[in-house]
Amino acid sequence: MSEGREPVLHPPSASAPPGPPDAGGARASAAQRLRRLVGGDGIGAVGLVLFVTIAVLPIAVSLGYALLYSIGAVGLLSDGLTGAHWQVLVQEAEIWRAFGWSLYIAGATVLLAISLALALALGLHRPLSEGPLSTIIYLPLAIPGTVAAFLVFQLFSGAGWMARVALTLGLIDTPAQFPDLVQDPWGIGIIAAHVGLAVPFFVLLFGQIYESERVRSLMELAATLGASRSQRLYRIAVPILLKRAFTNVLLLFVAVLGSYEIPLLLDQQSPQMLSVLTMRKYGLYDLADKPEAFIIALLYTALVGVVIALAFRYGHDAYDV
Amino acid sequence: MHAPSASISRAQAIVAALLAAVCLVPFAYLAALSVADPWTFPALAPEGWSLARWGRMLTGAGALGPSLSLSLGLSLTVAIASTAAGYVTGKFIAYHPWRRRLLVLAYVPFVMAPVILGVCLMYLFLRMRLAGSVAGVMLAQTMFAYGFSIIFFNAFWSARLKAMEDLVATLGGTTAEAYWRVLLPVSVGMLLICFFQTFLISWFQYGLTLLVGAGKVQTLPLKVYDFVSEANMYYAALASCLLVLPPVALLWVNKRFVFRQGLGTT
Repeated sequence: MSEGREPVLHPPSASAPPGPPDAGGARASAAQRLRRLVGGDGIGAVGLVLFVTIAVLPIAVSLGYALLYSIGAVGLLSDGLTGAHWQVLVQEAEIWRAFGWSLYIAGATVLLAISLALALALGLHRPLSEGPLSTIIYLPLAIPGTVAAFLVFQLFSGAGWMARVALTLGLIDTPAQFPDLVQDPWGIGIIAAHVGLAVPFFVLLFGQIYESERVRSLMELAATLGASRSQRLYRIAVPILLKRAFTNVLLLFVAVLGSYEIPLLLDQQSPQMLSVLTMRKYGLYDLADKPEAFIIALLYTALVGVVIALAFRYGHDAYDV
Repeated sequence: MHAPSASISRAQAIVAALLAAVCLVPFAYLAALSVADPWTFPALAPEGWSLARWGRMLTGAGALGPSLSLSLGLSLTVAIASTAAGYVTGKFIAYHPWRRRLLVLAYVPFVMAPVILGVCLMYLFLRMRLAGSVAGVMLAQTMFAYGFSIIFFNAFWSARLKAMEDLVATLGGTTAEAYWRVLLPVSVGMLLICFFQTFLISWFQYGLTLLVGAGKVQTLPLKVYDFVSEANMYYAALASCLLVLPPVALLWVNKRFVFRQGLGTT
């Protein structure tokens, strides 16, 4: 018998005395259930301890502290339980404008990035599978948000490279005539940076799904059955790619929603995206703003919880076996 | 077997070339700006070229050398720790009766914005006197990379691997033998992918490092922002080049592993 491990096979023992079948079996069954719940073997138990001490406890304690701070139960300036900080949500629009602004940026990014990635993945399937583009497309994955923000600023600001091209071509006479593409009221720079980072990833992901789901074979079959090109695209290829990538699309939405590095450089002063606003309220000298930082964090956590629930609810494919 | 590819159309070739150019322009621009001497408005190209800035970097100017070393050490440690921990925890969750509930909990550090969750975590880091320290930044980054690692390995631990492990037990093998002789060799590819991904999570991290490190832990992303704030675009470009070079090298070596049951959690 191997040490510390359950044997898979349980050969019947002729020498074992017959006892009350249910009591012994029930105890052994309960012990086995408990053993499975806490990890089964030593390695599993280590996994449980790590999970609780690194992932579960710190986050639970932190969110609990945030809640207590937001209702005045703890904190340097707390005078006891109060709903005054949460009343700010009703009295001032800054937090709601930040949520609205962040949702707009995230929604626009997802819409543009997924549309562009689908078009490229389906339209350039062969160049993306073989040839130099199949390697070059990986390079943007190495660019972090910090560098993407810096590049967008350098390329699209009033004195950036695109402004210089426009000046050289005679499209503008002064830098002030170049349209506002960064720190602008439509978030064009922020959206461009996020789309630039997301498109290569989703092009590669859609390409992988295209191969693994044999979309080409399905489309050829549909053609054999008389489907037009647009029917093959919009009723076969696009639904399969979007359904299989659904979880990743949701994760992109959440990632952009909570983005910090890019809006820190490219965003306007008001409204600000959620992470930037949270950092500002937490880190500046006015301690009275700290509860609002925790309120934003709690509302954001609730929103993320809804997204995770959606991902688990709709992320499984009906035709998976 | 794939049939030989038909030639692509002219329009496809043009779009493919444009896409390739768009992918390469950021790297070319950063490299050009880092060696520009100078590059003032409204010039389309630098007025001169010089490697002096790179040379000064190697002799300590701008403290980029120490930042590079710090970032490398931090990211390697976070990658090793989170990969190992996620490997074990992913297995625990994958075979657990409450798998879906535990997976939901694992998604929280993975999905949430590091800065927003970091603001909530600062209380713990301040109480443990880890705020403003490399250890604190390491722990904070590991927490987020660990979430990714759990989800990554949760998809890896399958019924087939369980059957292999059970087979070792049936044949009289110990737990250690099961891991050393069967599970680890089978897991090498996935461990490398996870290591690579968690390295990047730490390597690119800015907001959480700024928050937990209190500005004292000067990793490369912080240096990029510092130079941008000082309007020193040349050194910002140089720091950016240092920031993207290791991931490019890693991608070049590992690109065929990136999407094999890894990054796309579908």
